[in-house]
Amino acid sequence: MDLTLSLRVLSVAGIICQATLAFVLLWKKVWKSFPLFSWYFGTGSLATIMMYAFQHSRAAYFYLYWTVEALGIGLGFAVVYEIFSNLFGNHNALHRLASVIFRCVLGLLLCIGIVVLIRHSPFGFRAVTSAVVIVEESARIIEIGMLMCLFLLSSAFGLHWRQQVFGIALGLGIFVAVELIRVTIWGQAGKEAHDALNVIRILSFDTSLLIWIGYLAAPERAAKEVELPQRSQLEQWNQAVMELINQ
Amino acid sequence: MITLIVIALALAAIGLFYMAVRSRRQRPHQVVRPVDLKAFRTLVDREDELFLKQRLPRASFARLKRQRVTVTMRYVGRIANNASLVMGFGESARLSSDPEIAQTASQIVEVASQLRLQCLVALGKLSLEFALPSLQLTPAVLAPEYQQLRENVVRLGKLQPQTAAPLPVAI
Repeated sequence: MDLTLSLRVLSVAGIICQATLAFVLLWKKVWKSFPLFSWYFGTGSLATIMMYAFQHSRAAYFYLYWTVEALGIGLGFAVVYEIFSNLFGNHNALHRLASVIFRCVLGLLLCIGIVVLIRHSPFGFRAVTSAVVIVEESARIIEIGMLMCLFLLSSAFGLHWRQQVFGIALGLGIFVAVELIRVTIWGQAGKEAHDALNVIRILSFDTSLLIWIGYLAAPERAAKEVELPQRSQLEQWNQAVMELINQ
Repeated sequence: MITLIVIALALAAIGLFYMAVRSRRQRPHQVVRPVDLKAFRTLVDREDELFLKQRLPRASFARLKRQRVTVTMRYVGRIANNASLVMGFGESARLSSDPEIAQTASQIVEVASQLRLQCLVALGKLSLEFALPSLQLTPAVLAPEYQQLRENVVRLGKLQPQTAAPLPVAI
């Protein structure tokens, strides 16, 4: 299929998905429990409309595009914070340790981001474009690193993700990971590869939209569906824990 | 070089998300894993360990200690897994419309998460003992957390007899 046609088809699909997600956010009142994610999505949708309106004005489109990118990254960090709060908010014992680990990882990622920023060789574009792409790459490294840290911490602590939080994290994670690959290759590739990379970007965003719609629209598993362990197994566990305590 | 590392990081992230989705799908099939109490009792017996240390040559003791630590880690891992299941049960019960059930479930989740944390500490100490077999580290203090968990689960069982019947009896 022609790349331009693919871009158009995916863009239309994206607009339909965004409209569906907006409906789900309002229908399920997700904006009440996830205000930062709602802002992230709302701003992104508004940006899509504005960019569509300014697509024929090259200069306006350029500045609008990078402003939206910066805003998207900033709000992306806010969404990561919201996921962290939702995941650990009910676990005071784990929250303190998780916060310390999370801050350490953030510090480390900031260092890595700065190293990438300084050591990266300049691209063959305008100085402003090069700088913006490298800054975006560094920011995406930090964002994906924080999301990975969240998934690893929840696994280490044996936390149960609520469906909506998991969906938001997964959708954001996939989009940011693909976006990181795209930005990294974008700087190295020639201008002819940029259309293909744009198709990949829109495809990944549409995938994330579908994930968000799926996880936010589906009902949360009810308490009665939880499988209780067998009594004999729990008795064994009880005794095993007492052994560990009394040693 | 930086480009390759960055792409590898992004691919690792996608792999991690895939594993998270898979583990989430498998979670409903998780059950409490049984523990062989007799073997566990022998493994955590410090006097038994001291006896072996005095009798065996250093190299043999180190090899044996590492084997014991490996098996003990598996047991602690099972307890951590079971604590995680109790946390999941509490999370679901917290969605109850009855405020008393929801509050008790919140307390259970809190105590179970503390127990899970203690298990992580215990695993850390056991890892150190694996690296340095001559070490004898104090095991994690689980008693107050476990006692509190027991009281809360019993309370929840009284409030929610049809759903949680086997849990308070067993715990």
